[in-house]
Amino acid sequence: MTLTSPKPANATPGPLLWWKRNRKQILPPLFGIAGFLLVWQLSASLGLTRLPGPLSLFTEVRTRDLLLYPFYDRGGLDKGLFWQTMASLGRVAQGYFLAAVVGISAGIAVGLNKTLNRAFDPLFQFLRMVAPLAWVPIALVIFQKNQPAAIFVIFITAVWPILINTAEGVRQIPQDYHNVALVLQMSKKTFFTKVLIPSALPYIFTGLRISIGLAWLAIIAAEIVMSGIVGIGFFIWDAYQQNYVSDILLAVLWIGGIGLLLDRLMAWIQSRISPGQ
Amino acid sequence: MTALVDVQNLEKNFPLTGGGNYLALKGIDLEIRKGEFISLIGHSGCGKSTLLNMIAGLDLPTGGTVLLEGETVKRPGPDKMVVFQNYSLLPWLTVRQNIALAIEEVMPDLGKAEQDALIEEHMEMVGLTQAATKLPGQLSGGMRQRVSIARALAIKPKLLLLDEPFGALDALTRGNLQEKLMQICNEHELTAVMVTHDVDEAVLLSDRIVMLTNGPGSKIGGILEVDIPRPRQRLTVVHHPSYYSLRSEIIYFLNRQKRVKQWQARPHKVLARHGLEKVNLDLGFIPLAACAPLAVAEAKGFFSKHGLDDVQLVRETSWRGVVDGLVDKTLDAAMMPSGMPTWMTAGGHGSDPLPIVSSLTISRNGNEVTLAKRLAEQGVSTVEDYRAWLGSHEREPHRIGIVHPASMHNLLLRYWLAANGIDPDKDVHLQTLPPAQMLADLKDGSIDGYCIGEPWNFRAASSGHGVPIVGDLEIWSGHPGKVLGAREDWAQAYPNTYIALTKALLEACRYCADPAHWAEMSELLSDRRYLGIKADLIRFSGQQGDSGSFAPHGEPHHLFFGAGLNRPSRSEHLWILTQLARWAEIPFPRNYVEILERVCSVGVFSTAARELGMEDVSYQRQGIELFDGRPFNPEDPIGYLNDVSLHRDFSIAEIPIGQPRAISV
Repeated sequence: MTLTSPKPANATPGPLLWWKRNRKQILPPLFGIAGFLLVWQLSASLGLTRLPGPLSLFTEVRTRDLLLYPFYDRGGLDKGLFWQTMASLGRVAQGYFLAAVVGISAGIAVGLNKTLNRAFDPLFQFLRMVAPLAWVPIALVIFQKNQPAAIFVIFITAVWPILINTAEGVRQIPQDYHNVALVLQMSKKTFFTKVLIPSALPYIFTGLRISIGLAWLAIIAAEIVMSGIVGIGFFIWDAYQQNYVSDILLAVLWIGGIGLLLDRLMAWIQSRISPGQ
Repeated sequence: MTALVDVQNLEKNFPLTGGGNYLALKGIDLEIRKGEFISLIGHSGCGKSTLLNMIAGLDLPTGGTVLLEGETVKRPGPDKMVVFQNYSLLPWLTVRQNIALAIEEVMPDLGKAEQDALIEEHMEMVGLTQAATKLPGQLSGGMRQRVSIARALAIKPKLLLLDEPFGALDALTRGNLQEKLMQICNEHELTAVMVTHDVDEAVLLSDRIVMLTNGPGSKIGGILEVDIPRPRQRLTVVHHPSYYSLRSEIIYFLNRQKRVKQWQARPHKVLARHGLEKVNLDLGFIPLAACAPLAVAEAKGFFSKHGLDDVQLVRETSWRGVVDGLVDKTLDAAMMPSGMPTWMTAGGHGSDPLPIVSSLTISRNGNEVTLAKRLAEQGVSTVEDYRAWLGSHEREPHRIGIVHPASMHNLLLRYWLAANGIDPDKDVHLQTLPPAQMLADLKDGSIDGYCIGEPWNFRAASSGHGVPIVGDLEIWSGHPGKVLGAREDWAQAYPNTYIALTKALLEACRYCADPAHWAEMSELLSDRRYLGIKADLIRFSGQQGDSGSFAPHGEPHHLFFGAGLNRPSRSEHLWILTQLARWAEIPFPRNYVEILERVCSVGVFSTAARELGMEDVSYQRQGIELFDGRPFNPEDPIGYLNDVSLHRDFSIAEIPIGQPRAISV
């Protein structure tokens, strides 16, 4: 046996080899999820709970239609789940973008200036603790309309982690980098683009990732209270009102899936923009 | 020679979080000339980095000023570029971009092509052209520091400041980078200040080494000129004669600082007991056979017998440690060479006269001159041979090791050389070395020989590295060797303690004088707390040694006790004064009678001897007569001094020593 010649006897076709290597990663979660669904379905079938089992997604005709045809649009509020989700995502995008812009700029200002930090930190910590739902009535009072109120709720929920993390990132810029900037008498602009932003970037992204999840949480909460709009949150509320419980289950599935995708997306952007940090 | 940087009376006070201030630096004065390489060395926390930061403008002084080309440094700038210990490269920029960033910021007016040329030139200089597109994270520590140096040099600073630049690197990389930096500095005539705690690095790179004392309130403890010619090379520089003396000077300084710090960390309450003003004493000594009475007094309980309950023997590595210990009051008293009390009283240690008193001569004799084996192999066995040999080897440097300028070794060696027609300053060079280093220097041939006390002569003889050429018995038999010395203000404050200490040591001297105890004393001194060498190498008499050639004298070598042996002798100290003046160590004091009266605590000795019932030892010694038979008349010391054929240009001056005063407790 030498190192230069691989053993042909053990050679296995590609997919099988891949399965052999990865089955330990794949099988346990598969079994876990299957087990959970089984117990759920059993308890529903045996009448232990009034919640319909997972199979109801297929057995209920209404729900099966929603599941299979997410793209239908019959006008008004009667739209497929894809469109409902897109409407919610659109609000998230607006509120989140606003939160990112305000959060990062305010975070840098607070991080660089100790007096500003002392002035506003208690306020930030206080507002941060207010639950998204509590903002809904306030937002409605301020804006009088559903759409801007929803965006505001997303904004006010998502802005704090971005702001606080950015400020921390700016504060955490090593003294060495400050010294380099001082000795080279760097211009403000160079310091900003060459030192501050790259150095604080990992912190900023941590904030952005936390916030995207929060924003998504907030929109569902906000929409539930805001009647008469297209959006996955109101869809749930509507289904509840009409006692379509399996519809709710399906919507929850969508919400969870989209949330996961959003987080992955942010992670991917982060890995593209600041690699290896 | 113009000063590029002028640091004037600099002070730095840090406010503490719990209120109050920490005084880091105080009264720093330093001029840095253009093209000079300065090292700042000191223990951690001594404020050396703070000093560097203030020169850089990164930190502002709370007192005094730093001038760069005559202008006060108020803020950092590219004209005083810093190379940081942890490189401080921007990790998201490549090597090239890091250097480019500095150049673009500092020299925006330069054309793109010129900027590129500068970048290339400096990457080339540090040998990093290959790594231009790598990120710092992909480089080793040594390479990162090279980038950092390249970045610093690329912007052509007037002053390069390096903060422990090689501290985090492995030895091999450090060595290579040191040579690289040295080469760059030489080629570009850079002015640089480097903070380091590596002694060898400081000696290798610097023109001057600034040693800082420990904080709080660190000061410049000393500045060493490194006279090793450039260009220097790491491997050859160690062979330069100055290298090891510079190195040992720095190490002595750092150890001294550590010692002081430890001393300051201990509580220092004066314990008064048994009618004595102070019973807790720190006594300095040097590990030599002559320190036997101190070791015996401790081991046999003579200190506690006389009420001194808590006596610590503090081992110093050189006599300088004893001097410094008395100056900064970390020692209560010490065993010292017999020339030291008058030498210090006359200000020979380079500062104000510090009156020292001596109540006891602890030992006599015990010194010898040893020459290296290589000289014996060339037929040098007498002083005449040596003189002839010196004549035929004129071009080589001839160094003879001594332990201290004020020691009897120095004075007797000079007297003996001069009387034999060898000028001790012109024909040879007498170099002060720590006793424990002498043998190593003799082995590697950097000194011709040495004059020192036991056990170092016997060790050289028994290991075959040296041959004794003359013993002190043949120069001045019975000369005073080591004495007990203390500050006069200490003795004034603790008169009864002073007497008790004298009594304890006098009794120990009597114990040591009995040949029946010598084996036991050898055993005792071989302990690591004292000499830490084999007991059979420690001898107290000149009996025939194994080497056959050692000290063929019948009478005992060391004298510890006997009639007239221990009493401090004014005429002996006067003879010492004449010799110190003869070789221009100190001016001859016009008020020598006052000095001798103050130095020799004859009354304390007499009281001690009487209370011990040893009246018989208090008789005065006979007159002083050395081997050449020239009489010494204590009535006319200046006549004696004028009469000798060979002497330096000495002066006679009044030495103001003030009124006797007690130490303020």
